[in-house]
Amino acid sequence: MASSLSSFPPQLAAPRRRSTLSSLSWARALSPAQAYFLASSPSSPGRHCVPLQVRCNAQTIVASDLTPGTPVRPTSVLVVGATGTLGRQIVRRALDEGYDVRCLVRPRPAPADFLRDWGATVVNGDLSKPETIPATLVGIHTIIDCATGRPEEPIQTVDWEGKVALIQCAKAMGIQKYVFYSIHNCDKHPEVPLMEIKHCTEKFLQDSGLRYIIIRLCGFMQGLIGQYAVPILEEKSVWGTDAPTRIAYMDTQDIARLTFIAMRNEKIDKKLLTFAGPRAWTTQEVIALCERLAGQDANVTTVPVSVLRFTRQLTRFFQWTNDVADRLAFTEVLSSDTVFSVPMNETYSLLGVDQNDILTLEKYLQDYFSNILKKLKDLKAQSKQTDIYL
Amino acid sequence: MAALPVGGAGVSGQSKLNCPRFLGWPSSSLPGNPRFRRHPVSALPGSQFENSNDEKEETTRVGEEEKQGVSLTLDDVNPVGLGRRSRQIFDEVWRKFSGLGQISRTPTDEGLLDTVLIRGPMCEFTVPEAQDTTVLVVGGTSRIGRIVIRKLMLRGYKVKALVRKDDPEVVDMLPRSVTIVVGDVGEPSSLRAAVSGCNKIIYCATARSAITGDLNRVDNQGVRNVAKAFQDYNNELAQLRAGKSSKSKLLLAKFKSVESLEGWEVRQGTYFQDVVAAKYDGGMDAKFELTESGDAVFSGYVFTRGGYVELSKRLSLPLGSTLDRYDGLLLSVGGNGRSFVLILEAGPLADTSQSKLYFARMSTKVGFCRVRVPFSSFRPVRPDDPPLDPFLVHTLTIRFEPRRPKPVEVPSGNKQDPRSFKLILEYIKALPTGQETDFILVSCTGAGIEPNRRDQVLKAKKAGEDSLRRSGLGYTIVRPGPLKEEPGGQRALIFDQGNRISQGISCADVADICVKALHDSTARNKSFDVCYEYVAEGRNELYELVAHLPDKANNYLTPALSVLEKNT
Repeated sequence: MASSLSSFPPQLAAPRRRSTLSSLSWARALSPAQAYFLASSPSSPGRHCVPLQVRCNAQTIVASDLTPGTPVRPTSVLVVGATGTLGRQIVRRALDEGYDVRCLVRPRPAPADFLRDWGATVVNGDLSKPETIPATLVGIHTIIDCATGRPEEPIQTVDWEGKVALIQCAKAMGIQKYVFYSIHNCDKHPEVPLMEIKHCTEKFLQDSGLRYIIIRLCGFMQGLIGQYAVPILEEKSVWGTDAPTRIAYMDTQDIARLTFIAMRNEKIDKKLLTFAGPRAWTTQEVIALCERLAGQDANVTTVPVSVLRFTRQLTRFFQWTNDVADRLAFTEVLSSDTVFSVPMNETYSLLGVDQNDILTLEKYLQDYFSNILKKLKDLKAQSKQTDIYL
Repeated sequence: MAALPVGGAGVSGQSKLNCPRFLGWPSSSLPGNPRFRRHPVSALPGSQFENSNDEKEETTRVGEEEKQGVSLTLDDVNPVGLGRRSRQIFDEVWRKFSGLGQISRTPTDEGLLDTVLIRGPMCEFTVPEAQDTTVLVVGGTSRIGRIVIRKLMLRGYKVKALVRKDDPEVVDMLPRSVTIVVGDVGEPSSLRAAVSGCNKIIYCATARSAITGDLNRVDNQGVRNVAKAFQDYNNELAQLRAGKSSKSKLLLAKFKSVESLEGWEVRQGTYFQDVVAAKYDGGMDAKFELTESGDAVFSGYVFTRGGYVELSKRLSLPLGSTLDRYDGLLLSVGGNGRSFVLILEAGPLADTSQSKLYFARMSTKVGFCRVRVPFSSFRPVRPDDPPLDPFLVHTLTIRFEPRRPKPVEVPSGNKQDPRSFKLILEYIKALPTGQETDFILVSCTGAGIEPNRRDQVLKAKKAGEDSLRRSGLGYTIVRPGPLKEEPGGQRALIFDQGNRISQGISCADVADICVKALHDSTARNKSFDVCYEYVAEGRNELYELVAHLPDKANNYLTPALSVLEKNT
């Protein structure tokens, strides 16, 4: 276990000791505004989290050296993580509002054609390979970063090292604005690796000297579809916990819309916003809602949080199951009776958004079920015919 | 299937397939293969969960399976198959289990997200009509055109783009699923392929220079050519359906033979019942006849003060068609450029004494021209009558009354007496009403162009607009203020008619208007100016800001356009 944790940045690996150590390291080493940090970091012990592939000397870091030249158009944005649940909505919204969108996607055998079909430009790059980043940032005004590593990936390559490289690169290349999506309450749960990393990235971004907006999110409604709605419709078992945690789910389309309003607002510069849905729901409530809308009872398997927690404790004992333990880390959050929600009134008035325009979960699921049930009916009518032929 | 009793029997023991068990997988020959096919194909489009496990299967473990000893075969105890199956089951259980420990998972299946949440009805951009609409975008690489194409793609339209050269650089600018047609708006022959299969056209091409030739080719002739090609295509379609298509005009009268003049009667009258005055006036006369050259000519003179002559006919519509499905009248006329009054009599056919009169003025040019007179421009003769209902129209009258000659207007060379007239009638048709616009033209207001070039540019644009209006297509002409390259949807917009606007507008907003106008009945046959709302700087505000920003779902276009004049 120890060896696996040592590959983490120290402030991540030892969350309990963080408070004393971390503030020091952020101030001193992680601020790219100070030009020497890149050269100095290899010598400073225990800070191998800072990738060294981006080498730039002090002259290029000064953004004023870049200003005479062709000014970048404020409509050019780079979306990192464009193929994700949130990312694709961001891309669509951006295109619809008239931005020129460039998407940074990992080179893969099946390219993300849908992004090109919508009119975005796709460039290949990989956050875990920092040498591929700089070329993708040429001519970009704003970076919107909604990338998160996939669950099967080791968490620190994309989410920490990759992000640090990206932020440094953005700073060095004089990017005008950086929008970063984080997780709500990430500062309160240092024991969860992903949240800890998000929190560290927030800090890093704040110290970088870039103009930034950090947006903390609670949960996506889109995620509920695959988790509950589809299994209920297909009459498969739904797994839920009895955790009392409440999450204020939000529609990703709303998140995208609010993001662009915030991005254009000069007053919201170097600020941290939290977006939450209109109401916070527990797992049980969501399942009950799905059941009501689908008109059929779900086959619910309730797993007590204690079991989850026990599994996590168990898996932490072995090095080879550590990855598993990390994935179960949210258990701690789940069992902590937290409410993942914030009052949004202030944010609404800051952005000038009407509260009634924000989609509620009831409405969202209702739309989904009415659409799907209609489609299912059509399909069933067809499949009945084919049954006869069989 | 009979060849595979081993695999079939083993699977059928726990398969939940609804279909007959022996017909499921006829072609499989590998012993382990049926296992992977046994799950019922999910009814949801695109949802292909690798393991669509039932509750029953989840709890099934390797040991239990072996105890179902009834139909045990060699295949069922095959250790490789068993291992694979148990691993699948374990994976599925574990996936669900570990999913519990996370706040919000990315759905494992991207196909599901795509079909329902992104492309499907759950998306805020989705327009229901988009699926069966093909839009031709002319000028797809222009500042507005690029955004128009993206917006159309997001909404699920089929898009064709007309480009001048099949240049990889140009083609790369466009999304890949856009159909690219190579052609030049200056070349009518190259446009036929472009318009075929299209339902709508958005024209946002503009000349790249202010050279007259360029302007003429793109902004004037280009619009004309595209509109003509589209109209030809529509006519072709209309012919295929024997004139019954909703796009066909209704022929009310065609004047080509002596017979066709029957039923039209010439009448005269005066507005004043002043016998004394009439004595001193020169009187009036009019006739309607077919000349030797085959023209139907309505000509005469009116010297009497307050007198008029008119040509009138009771309309006989073809069976099954009523005028309320039409939008206005189209007259193809020639003559010496007098102005006439069209009068429609409307009322129940049985009792013509109850008919009400409606009038609209129609001015003609010297020589031949086509005049559109929308029903909406007819006003009741008696002001307290209800507005015209085209359904009740039964009689059409063309009336000539001499207008007082304007003193300034009479040049010395013009010896023509304004009280005599000549009107050559070719045909009268009713224009089909369309719910939607067919052709959206992005023109310009002229604000923001260098003053010495402005007249030239505006002249070409104006000519283009005019040819579109005359084409008979449902049109929408958008005249934006000076374009700005910034994101749209940020500021309130002003829609106006009459060249009064002062502000700029972002390209994205213009594109949004174009896309919204496609299916908006209020946008049909309208020309309007659009720009940002004027925002006073500092403390110079005179008025409070009342307008709202366009937000998520609101359709700002319909209310904004419904107050504007039609057929402008």
